[in-house]
Amino acid sequence: MDRLAAPTEQLIAAGSAQADVGELRAPTAEDTVDGVQPRLVAEPSTVDRLVATLGWAADLGLTVRVRGGGTKQQWGAVAQPFDLLLSTARLNAVVEHRHGDLTATIEAGATLAAVSAALADHAQRLPLDPPWPARATIGGIVATNDSGPARHHHGAPRDLIIGCSIVLADGRAAKSGGIVVKNVAGYDLARLMTGSFGTLAVIASATFKLAPVASSSRTVSIAMDSLEDAAPLIARLADAPLTPSALELEWSPARLHVRFESVEAAVVQQAAEVGRLAAGSGRATTSEGEAESRLWADYAGRRVGPGTHVKLATRPTELVPTLVRLRDACRRGAVEMAAAGRAALGVVEVRLDGSAAAQARVIEQLRESLPPGEGSAVVRQAEPELRRLVDPWGSIGDALPIMQRIKAQLDPDSRLNPGGGPGGI
Amino acid sequence: MDPQFLAELERIVGPDGIVRDDAELATYESDGLAKMRSRPGAAVLPGSAEEVQQVVGLCHAAGVPFVARGSGTGLSGGALPRPDGVLIVMTRLKRILDIDIPNRRITVEPGVLNLEVSQAVAGDGCYYAPDPSSQVICSIGGNLAENSGGAHCLKYGFTVHHVLGVEAVLPDGELVRLGGPALDNPGYDLLGVLVGSEGTLAVVTKVTLRLLRKPAAVKTLLAAFDSTEAAGNAVSGIIGAGIIPAAVEMMDRLTIEAAEAAVHPNFPQAEAILIVELDGAEADVTALFSLVQQVCTDSGAREIQVAQTDAQRARFWMGRKAAFAAMGRVSPSYYVQDGVIPRTKLPEVLARIRSLEEESGLRIGNVFHAGDGNLHPLVCYDDRIPGQPDLAQRVASDILTFCLDAGGSITGEHGVGADKADQMPKMFSATDLEAMQRVRCAFDPRNLCNPGKVFPTPRLCGEVPGPYRAHPAEQAGLAARV
Repeated sequence: MDRLAAPTEQLIAAGSAQADVGELRAPTAEDTVDGVQPRLVAEPSTVDRLVATLGWAADLGLTVRVRGGGTKQQWGAVAQPFDLLLSTARLNAVVEHRHGDLTATIEAGATLAAVSAALADHAQRLPLDPPWPARATIGGIVATNDSGPARHHHGAPRDLIIGCSIVLADGRAAKSGGIVVKNVAGYDLARLMTGSFGTLAVIASATFKLAPVASSSRTVSIAMDSLEDAAPLIARLADAPLTPSALELEWSPARLHVRFESVEAAVVQQAAEVGRLAAGSGRATTSEGEAESRLWADYAGRRVGPGTHVKLATRPTELVPTLVRLRDACRRGAVEMAAAGRAALGVVEVRLDGSAAAQARVIEQLRESLPPGEGSAVVRQAEPELRRLVDPWGSIGDALPIMQRIKAQLDPDSRLNPGGGPGGI
Repeated sequence: MDPQFLAELERIVGPDGIVRDDAELATYESDGLAKMRSRPGAAVLPGSAEEVQQVVGLCHAAGVPFVARGSGTGLSGGALPRPDGVLIVMTRLKRILDIDIPNRRITVEPGVLNLEVSQAVAGDGCYYAPDPSSQVICSIGGNLAENSGGAHCLKYGFTVHHVLGVEAVLPDGELVRLGGPALDNPGYDLLGVLVGSEGTLAVVTKVTLRLLRKPAAVKTLLAAFDSTEAAGNAVSGIIGAGIIPAAVEMMDRLTIEAAEAAVHPNFPQAEAILIVELDGAEADVTALFSLVQQVCTDSGAREIQVAQTDAQRARFWMGRKAAFAAMGRVSPSYYVQDGVIPRTKLPEVLARIRSLEEESGLRIGNVFHAGDGNLHPLVCYDDRIPGQPDLAQRVASDILTFCLDAGGSITGEHGVGADKADQMPKMFSATDLEAMQRVRCAFDPRNLCNPGKVFPTPRLCGEVPGPYRAHPAEQAGLAARV
């Protein structure tokens, strides 16, 4: 492999002399990841420049990490030393909004908030609501397959993506899928990119199916006395002939938020039905309009609260029992805990606070308590100290070797986010 | 085939699990795409995942290609056997292994039929959403390989949205588990790649599926129009009003006639009919259904029938689902095409298909999943007339070109298989295909697992990927080889 021994200034001068490479600059303190500073930063302003930059990096054998809004740089393993920080910040166009087809093609660096604003012109939306919408970018959301309450009804990025343009490790542009919602031609590399943490290729743009913005919305929030009380109510709600757009469990205190988005008559009727189902389990209040928007904004704020973030996934019926065990373990282990997430899907974000050693013990216990192959606890955001004490991913299972072979095929020199992918790939 | 190899196969699956007789092998020489035929070297019918694993392991060790086959209903030759290979027939793996109603999961073997899944959980108020027209006979394993859809995938998505986990035998005989009853297993989304890979990456032996609760309300209407354009406008109007129906299906005059002749659904005579189905909570369906009726009327519907009973709804659907088979009533032979266009390009593409009909002299029926732009033109021809079969094939191929010109795809649900592998370069660049084939190389470096499908030319997995690049940094004295 070629390795460049030249200092940053020379590197920038050499790169800038190449057609279309760029735009290159020296790193600043803000470009540091886990205390690791890249040798240089590229912020290409066009896809052609992105392609040229990656080709140049391949020629030089530079290792590359990709950054969108920088909201998830601390996810996964502690960063290894790397050469080039590739920022997608300037690749931020909504390339095409085909409102009649309910699809849109969006460049990787566009923030979710900007995308939402653009699509709202035709009363449509990309139904994804992961944290930090003002900063989180499409590329980062796809690369981490991150989502929020809307996943209950609309799914995660992997369920909404219908195509993507990527740049391979060797600097060649490729694509998968297309702009139509139904398409089975060729392998689905767009889904392979979702959750691959930038280790297989660089996402230049992605195409999604969209959803119409509903005319009316209601949210019923149910306050309960204990986490344990939530389980029977979640089961009743999941079994009822209702079509909520979100069903969120929050602790502590124990609360459920059930949202309906449709025409007015339907949201009113369904919200009333939730009120009936919740009677005896907790105190239900229904919100609409500004109060409802505030409720969800506050909730989003609590979801991104301080501390370690762990994504816990179980069979839906095992979610509350698992959280109860975790709560008790945290109490014993002097760790503070809060949780918020998709009650009916069995996926919640757990926040922990305490000494790194104590948190590591709790996370290990949590993993051991999950039946093999039936759940996971992945550390997302955490201080480097904790991510050194515990493997952020936990067990990948018996498919890890095939994942490693895919990495070796698509990035044979392991230059794209080395060590930063699932299972330390 | 080598007698010792065959003896080994027989040792694994038992004497009643292997087919070697040439006449008996004729049963397996094609799938639903009858024009492509090839008799397998041998066929095996394993009775367990362990037997599948051993068969694949044996093939791998001997360098013998293998092809997995479910019910054989595929329409792209995805299960076309190899004369030098083994056909692994999965129909004996048909147990339902686990039903978990509280979590809405079911685990089945791949030979279980699509409709059997819904039937197994109907008593619990649940169903399995993907419903390809062949659902009474097609298998879950085949659905997974093809990423099958069906009329209701507009709202509920495809097989890939409903498969939570699989146990699969990799082409080297290794058994792996991907996904599972919980969501978000850490790792690459290999399920997302495996589903729809047309049997070229692994042989699936166990599948965990997501079940849905039956909707509280379902309403279905049939609207008749004087032109396909008017029907197409109604579809755009419905979607434009922010409504995602469970299904929106369109049939044109020829396919209406054919369905009428075959199964007598009592469709009105029209240039086009739409079947629109809404489902969900009672209040939702009631409110939106009247909106749909209004849009249809505004778009020029001259007759709207609303299904008043389950039997009437079933009659609408019977007419629609019988459309392919029914073409036999109006034409001695027909070619079923499968292409996709952005929904809004429907009028433009239909106009081109009509011109093609006039130019070629062949009648072309059209039946679409109109909501998601999936066209199924049926090119009618007479195979007794010299030249017509070839002409029909050319016409069908031209229609695909129209789809691509409109920004669409060469297949929405039937797959690429052996049939359309040569069309792939029209849709994908050499680099696109190489990237896909690198994934294949990770799974199947020896190209033994359903070879010859999907890709026009196999990639040798030992090749150094990518073009040779000069090293400008090295030339400039900035880089040094270590």
